[in-house]
Amino acid sequence: MQLSLNKPKVLIGMKAIDLTQVGAGKEVRVSRLDCAPGTCQRLREMGFCENALVKKIRGGADLVCWVCGTRVALSARLARQILVEHVDGNS
Amino acid sequence: MSQPKRWVAVVGNPNAGKSTLFNALTGLRQRVANYPGVTVEKRTGTAYTLHGEAVELVDLPGLYSLSPRSPDEEIARKVLRGESPGIPKPDVILCVVDASNLERNLFLVTQVMELGIPVLVALNMVDVAEARGIRLRPEELGQRMGVKFIPTQAHRGKGLVELRAALGQKLADPGERRWVMPPQLATAVGQIAAAWRDARPAELGAEGRALELLAGSGEGPEGAKKLALAWRERFREQAYDWSAAVVQARYTYLQEMLGQAGVGPGHGKMTWTDRIDALVLNPVAGWAALAGILMLLFTSIFSVAAYPMEWIDAGFSALGEWVQGTMPAGLFRDLLVDGVLAGVGGVVIFLPQILILFFFLGLLEDSGYLARAAFLLDRVMHRVGLSGKSFIPLLSSYACAIPGIMATRTVEDPKDRLTTILVAPLMSCSARIPVYTTLIAAAVPAAVMPSWGKAGAMLGLYALGTGTAFALAWLFRKKMLGGGSPPLILELPPYRRPSVRTVALRMWERAVIFIRRAGTVILALSILLWFLCNFPQSAEDPSERLAQSFAGQIGHALEPVLKPLGFDWRIGIGLVASLAAREVFVSTMSIVYHSEGEEEGLIQAMRSAAWPDGSLIYTPLTCLALLVFYVYALQCLSTVAVARRETGGWKWPAFMMAYMAGLAYAGAWLVQTVGRALGG
Repeated sequence: MQLSLNKPKVLIGMKAIDLTQVGAGKEVRVSRLDCAPGTCQRLREMGFCENALVKKIRGGADLVCWVCGTRVALSARLARQILVEHVDGNS
Repeated sequence: MSQPKRWVAVVGNPNAGKSTLFNALTGLRQRVANYPGVTVEKRTGTAYTLHGEAVELVDLPGLYSLSPRSPDEEIARKVLRGESPGIPKPDVILCVVDASNLERNLFLVTQVMELGIPVLVALNMVDVAEARGIRLRPEELGQRMGVKFIPTQAHRGKGLVELRAALGQKLADPGERRWVMPPQLATAVGQIAAAWRDARPAELGAEGRALELLAGSGEGPEGAKKLALAWRERFREQAYDWSAAVVQARYTYLQEMLGQAGVGPGHGKMTWTDRIDALVLNPVAGWAALAGILMLLFTSIFSVAAYPMEWIDAGFSALGEWVQGTMPAGLFRDLLVDGVLAGVGGVVIFLPQILILFFFLGLLEDSGYLARAAFLLDRVMHRVGLSGKSFIPLLSSYACAIPGIMATRTVEDPKDRLTTILVAPLMSCSARIPVYTTLIAAAVPAAVMPSWGKAGAMLGLYALGTGTAFALAWLFRKKMLGGGSPPLILELPPYRRPSVRTVALRMWERAVIFIRRAGTVILALSILLWFLCNFPQSAEDPSERLAQSFAGQIGHALEPVLKPLGFDWRIGIGLVASLAAREVFVSTMSIVYHSEGEEEGLIQAMRSAAWPDGSLIYTPLTCLALLVFYVYALQCLSTVAVARRETGGWKWPAFMMAYMAGLAYAGAWLVQTVGRALGG
């Protein structure tokens, strides 16, 4: 399923935003991946599993995250399909 | 020579230092080829254990997972399963893991351990991990995972003795799976694995096989396949994402295991990589840095390479003179001098440029910068339907389309890769430089055109090729091949000091491949062209002989087709002769106009060449049409040969030749027609 590109996504019972909406330097937890199965699998294998902690290092058009001990660059198009929640005390 | 007894497959994540370790273990005892039927490079080499036993190492492509989604991953799976022709099933799998990034690297190890083959883990880059405050406990890790861990620093040659000692020992099978499978999935995998064991009791790793069958990949006994299909269907009906559950379960196990083994996560302090990234990924400074690096690369290719190119040229000329002075006059001498030496020398001369290009690419890749450049360019490339990963092959094509096309192997998406191969020859390569220089000089006298004007004209031709390449990439990728480009997911490795040994080995490898091709394909084509330009031998005068030769006859036959472009039969000979390599156009024109070796003489002769009615052939408009023709035409048979190898058939090289020939003809015709209409 392809999500619309600009609307924030809201999950029932919790506030989920996509990764592009997170400020640089903030740490978030992955709550859901909303992309094609192959892409989802690749993201998970690279550490973007559900519940994984991700720190956004750089924002901008394309972004860089710190996940599983490495820096991973993502296009904004893909980052919009990664739904995350702020971890406690970090919002 | 004794046969190597055992095969060791080397696997690991990209950037884990796998190739550096492979190079350190095998040195120059390497062989590079392609896997049969596919374009994935196969690198094998011989290493020796501490007892002097020869073991054959096969370096697999960098992988994040064994789930086959790309050609690289499919090849790796086949090699590890012993299903790749020409490579026996490995006796040992050497997993190279980045010690500073254990969680993600060990994910692949958990998959490899399910193959039923003994596994050895090289805990590489321990220095980087320790600098980041990560506590490593190889013994503890080995006990918990059931495989041997050996700390290494491949770039410094540390840990190699221990590794060679371990390769000489008999290693045990990793044994039972350590990660906990979700109950729902465990039932399915248990049933499929049991069916597998019933059919093939001697084979180990039934659970790994069961997971492969569940994913729909791999072959197996009918009973196991039917069960896997039924479970897959059931999971689909239940909307149960079993593959996500597997990834999650592996990571959960690894997090707990690393915690229990006392492997600390390290500090999150700002590192040099973060500081450099702040600059090179900055929207302004990053582009300036990239422009500076590209400028340095091009300056080196076109200026530093000029010296060794002159030496090679002088060497071939001296050799030609020596042959001419030593051998009696005759056809065989002409063949050696004008065919073999001129043809092969004309191509080998570009070796310095290719080596400089690979030197820079090696430095940029080994240092970790290349991934940043691809990241920076992703947005630009995305506009034409490609990803940032296509940037490097297109950049390489400015030197030569051959290494450019070979560099497309790093592009994961097959459609992106094909598009990049199709447009790479439009980037003006170094072989076009002599043609551009000659035709610009023929179009406008040196006295009239200042040097900045020539440079501007040259830049315009480069821009025309590049702009067309991007426009056609958009057309091919978005309109013809269809489907979206996969979104960018790219690991940005920490910056490292490049390994001189790795870069030097890569340059050596490319030089060998290039010279081997010059000695085979180019040699054969040179002999053929010499024959076409010299037979039948009906006249004494070289110019007359050329006119009556097979090539001349072809030129005359082509004249009616070429006339609308403003080209006569002599240009036709040049076009035919330069089919194998563009730069041959200049030497052919020298023969046609009787001005061997003198550039000024050739330009003068071209400027005074006339049609039978007395009107000049090389008007500025015709020169411009010819320039446009050479910007677009695929006058390089080596590129066609490489494209055939890389695309696995003749279909796409034939398309490439056809569209580029069409573009060249249409472009030249348009220039001539519009120019004439405007009174040119």
